[in-house]
Amino acid sequence: MQRGIIKNRRGQNRSFSLRNFLPENRKGTILVENVIFIILNILFISILILFLSRQGDGAVVLEQSYAKNIALLIDASQPVSEMKLYMKDAIDVAEKNGISREEIVKINGNSVLVKLSANGGYQYSFFNNVDVTVYPDVYTEKNYIIKINGYK
Amino acid sequence: MLKKILPNKRGDKIISVYWFAVLIIVAGGIFGMVYVFYGTPYDIRELEVNLLINKIADCVSYAGRINSNVVSEGVFNKDFNLSNDCNLILTTDEWEEVQYYTKVDFYNINNANTPIFTLANGNSNLLTNCEIQEDKEYSKLAKCADGSFYSLDSLDNQYIIKILTSVRKAEKNVKV
Repeated sequence: MQRGIIKNRRGQNRSFSLRNFLPENRKGTILVENVIFIILNILFISILILFLSRQGDGAVVLEQSYAKNIALLIDASQPVSEMKLYMKDAIDVAEKNGISREEIVKINGNSVLVKLSANGGYQYSFFNNVDVTVYPDVYTEKNYIIKINGYK
Repeated sequence: MLKKILPNKRGDKIISVYWFAVLIIVAGGIFGMVYVFYGTPYDIRELEVNLLINKIADCVSYAGRINSNVVSEGVFNKDFNLSNDCNLILTTDEWEEVQYYTKVDFYNINNANTPIFTLANGNSNLLTNCEIQEDKEYSKLAKCADGSFYSLDSLDNQYIIKILTSVRKAEKNVKV
């Protein structure tokens, strides 16, 4: 323990040591308590952060987001055009859930269906009466190609 | 209990039941907020109504001239169909009722109060939704938007064209 001399308000010399800052319990139980307390807090915050990050990357949110995104792209497009949509996060989630790249986006009539999990899937309709083809880009690229062939 | 694992004879309960109660309340609050945030669908109807306006405007008039299928030699074509002639598909298997309404009014440049010709298509019940929301918007009702522009026909007659579009799709865009 480091020892030293400090002066109190009255100017009297007083010895001090680290012990002044610790309770009189010399068995070190406070340190153990603090460590466990900090570990529990870190655990709690980690679980919260994990929960929040998982929510944002969840299949349900991504399905809705991409289905609406693609529907809007189709509505705004003119034939003949080709669009590349970067879908890395959706492709990663789908592959993790055992869905092949070809099955992620499908066009049923005038609706876009995005499926990232076996039980999931989100459908959204578009009003532009066009013939659309969708397919994944070459394997290394995590894009999806949306091709507007012409009016129906 | 944790108290048995961490004996504190002085009663200074840093890790206590109360602390866990606070943690549970905080976690519950955060879970609740996240659930509400991610449980609310993205509302893209405003984008849709504006895209629909642009699409119809491009169809009815292009480069400042009214489509000759709509007005020919100063005569309006009553057979012009917004759905077929503008390549719109307003029905879908996803919905039982039509979720769109579109209306195009043609006004003489000298009289912008009474339309001389009107084209309409879709679910006309949505029109009442637009009237209700003139002062205040209600998210659970259909989203409406309107726009107007000036155009000429082949005889250089001048017209003001007003387009009104409405998209419902409330169940997919709003937490009902």
